[in-house]
This record gives sequence, structure tokens and C-alpha cells, in this order.
Amino acid sequence: MQHLDPDRLVVLALSEEPGPSESDHLDDCPGCRGDLATLRDVADLGAEGQDLRGLPTPPEHVWQAIEAEIAPDVARAAAPAGVTELAGHRARPRRPRPRWLTPLLAAAAAAVVAVAGTVAVDRIAGRAPVEQVEARATLTPLATVPADASGSVRVLSGGRMQIDVRNLPLTTGFHEVWLIDPDDLSKMVALGNLADQPDVLLPVPPGTDLNRYRLVDVSDEPHDGDATHSGRSLLRGTLTS
Amino acid sequence: MNSDDELAERLRDGDDKALRMVYDRHGAAVLYLAQRLLGNRADAEDVTQVTFVAAWTGRDSYDPQRGTMLGWLLGIARRKAVDRMRTAARDERVAETVRAQLAPPDERETPERVVDRLVVADEMDRLPEEQRRTLELAFFDDLTHPQIAAVTGLPLGTVKSHIRRGMANLRRRWEVDGATFGSRSAGRTRAL
Ligand SMILES: [Zn+2]
Repeated sequence: MQHLDPDRLVVLALSEEPGPSESDHLDDCPGCRGDLATLRDVADLGAEGQDLRGLPTPPEHVWQAIEAEIAPDVARAAAPAGVTELAGHRARPRRPRPRWLTPLLAAAAAAVVAVAGTVAVDRIAGRAPVEQVEARATLTPLATVPADASGSVRVLSGGRMQIDVRNLPLTTGFHEVWLIDPDDLSKMVALGNLADQPDVLLPVPPGTDLNRYRLVDVSDEPHDGDATHSGRSLLRGTLTS
Repeated sequence: MNSDDELAERLRDGDDKALRMVYDRHGAAVLYLAQRLLGNRADAEDVTQVTFVAAWTGRDSYDPQRGTMLGWLLGIARRKAVDRMRTAARDERVAETVRAQLAPPDERETPERVVDRLVVADEMDRLPEEQRRTLELAFFDDLTHPQIAAVTGLPLGTVKSHIRRGMANLRRRWEVDGATFGSRSAGRTRAL
């Protein structure tokens, strides 16, 4: 019996429907059927992973509680002097990676290649203030949002956007930053999420037309695996140069 | 980056800095799992704390041959969270939350499912860059192989092999560390 090609099984799991002869084979062959079912499960799980990007690290008080609880044991274990120091330094929390969404595939195609894999989110802290500001926006709260919420945005030379927010309502999900075309609100670019930080630098995909995508939007996104805008905007403002 | 083997060895030696590295690397996933299962932040942070303390106390029981550090931690966290849910169910103060939470039995949100999702996402992060990128385009953007080739500029054959290998890596990891794999062959049950 000629089994289905492994490459073909992957394609069937991801995007295509089996043809008639393939269906017949799948009906008859538990092996290929099982493989396909497993690959589909893997693909489903993989797709659900999109909202696991940049999960917030637990607050420091959680670690402090852990440290306090294990302290007596650590002291005992460390009794023999000359505990080996780490080869490196204490690991820093991994930087959150922004979730990449490319509803505007053509516009973002170059960006996917250019940006993927580079460290995309940088803390602004400690950066020399020599950046050239190409555009700015003041973010104001939408009607449903407490009036003291606010934010400011600066687009810096080199395709980065600095965003600074205050008093955003707490979320069980995360806050995502978008650039929207105000003339067609269905067209938008996801820039990344705020990861519980008051100010972050997000990369603007090269080639993004900021005259068109000039409406900056901060939304509240649930961890529901749905990468599209939740419809719950918190802050908005228009970029001007 | 330190391997699980290395971290496990340092943990066994009683090196608390290794625990901190594990926490920095996986604390967010543990907190996420707990939050998903318990539905409130304070309990989720508690369970995160209890999980890492249990990982420290039980550090001799972790065997890198049998699975990744993350898989092991999520197993502990899942048990702790389920314990907490049971306790909470007896507790009038939070009974309401639990009822609300258990009311819509969403099969995608079983503890096992959340663990599997975290494990597969972690493996995605470990894939070689191009493998990961092609899979992201397939999973998140629903692109076909030829579309991925067009977007990335990679030859179609390369895209195919990245995706095949990437899928094989995710599958292997899921089979090793996942929580539901063993039960899947018994049929895709909807039961919690
Ligand atoms: Zn077959």
C-alpha cells in the first residue's frame, strides 16, 4: 500500500482538503489517518499559541515570597563554602516579543522578513535622548474609559514608536497597540503589546504609510487566541508630524 | 542559554540562582496557566509561588531525560491549581467564581489543553528562526506554502522542508511534554 507522503500530510493538516484518492486511502489506513489527526492537533495548538506571545512576567513580590520560603533550605545547601558562581550573570526576564499580525500582507511582506527575529521591543529607559521625532500623537480615553487614562506617542527616526501610557484600566488580557486607517477602520497594523510597562518602544514595520495609518489605538485584548482587534479600544490619538 | 540539564544539575546542587533562572524563563507560563484555571489573579500568583517552592523542594525528582523543565513545572502547577479549585469549591467566599468558571465547559480550556498550548508555544520559540517564521505564517496568517514562499522569498522546497521539520519538532515535543497526548488516541473526547 502506498502511504501518503509526509509532506502531503502536513499540507493536509494545515491548509488543504484531501482529494478523492487520498480520502479513500485515509479511510482504509489507520496509520495515515492517525498521523493526520495528530498533525492537525499540533497545528491547532500552534495556532492557539499566538496569544501566548509576550506573557507578562509575574510580579516581583511572587519571587520574593518564593525566595523567603526556600531561604532556610538554601542556607543549608550552601553550607560548604565556595559555592560556584554562575557562568553568566543572573538571567534577566526574557523580553516580550510582540505578536505579529499581518492583515495587510502585501504592505507587511517586506516587514516580516526584515523584522522577524530582531529584538523588537526595547525599554526606553537609559536611551540617550538624541532621537529625531518624526510624528507625535496625544492619546485620549474613549467614552467608556476612565477620564484620567492618557498616553503619548512619538514616532522616532529609524521606524520605532515610543508609547507612554497612564492610568489604563486593568486588564485580564493585555494592551495592544495598533495603527489604523481612519478612512477604513477595518485596515490596521498590530504593532505589539505593552506588556504591563508604562513606556515601550515598538517597531513600525518598514513601509507602513503613516499618513494613511495615522490613528494610534490602544486596545484591551483578551487571551482568547483571536489575533484580530477585540473592538475594545481604550485610547486613541492621531499622528501629526 | 542554559540547558534544562544544566539547570537541573545546579538545582540538585542547591543553587537557588538556578531556580531564579527557571523562574525568569518559565514563571510567566506558570502564572498564565494558573490564571486560566483559577480565573483570578491573587490565587494565580499564589499557585505560581507554591509551584516554584514545590519545584525547589522536589528538585531531585526532575529528570531531564523524561521531559523538559517547562513540562515538569506545568505538571506541578496544574496539580496545584486543581487542588486550589477543589478547595475553593468548598469555600463560600469564592464559590461564585468557581461556578461561573465551570459553567461553560469549554473543551479548549481544560487544564490539559492549556498546558499543551504552552508547551507547543515554548517549542515554537526554540525552533530555528526560519522554521519558526514559516510556521507562524502558516498558523497565524493561514498562508499556504506558496504564499509563504512569496512572502519570505524562500524557495518553495525550503518552505516545505521548514514546515515539515517544524511540525515534526512540535509534534515530538507535544508527545513528550503534552498533557493530553496519551488520551488522544482514545478518541477526541469532549469530557473535561
Ligand atoms: Zn497510509
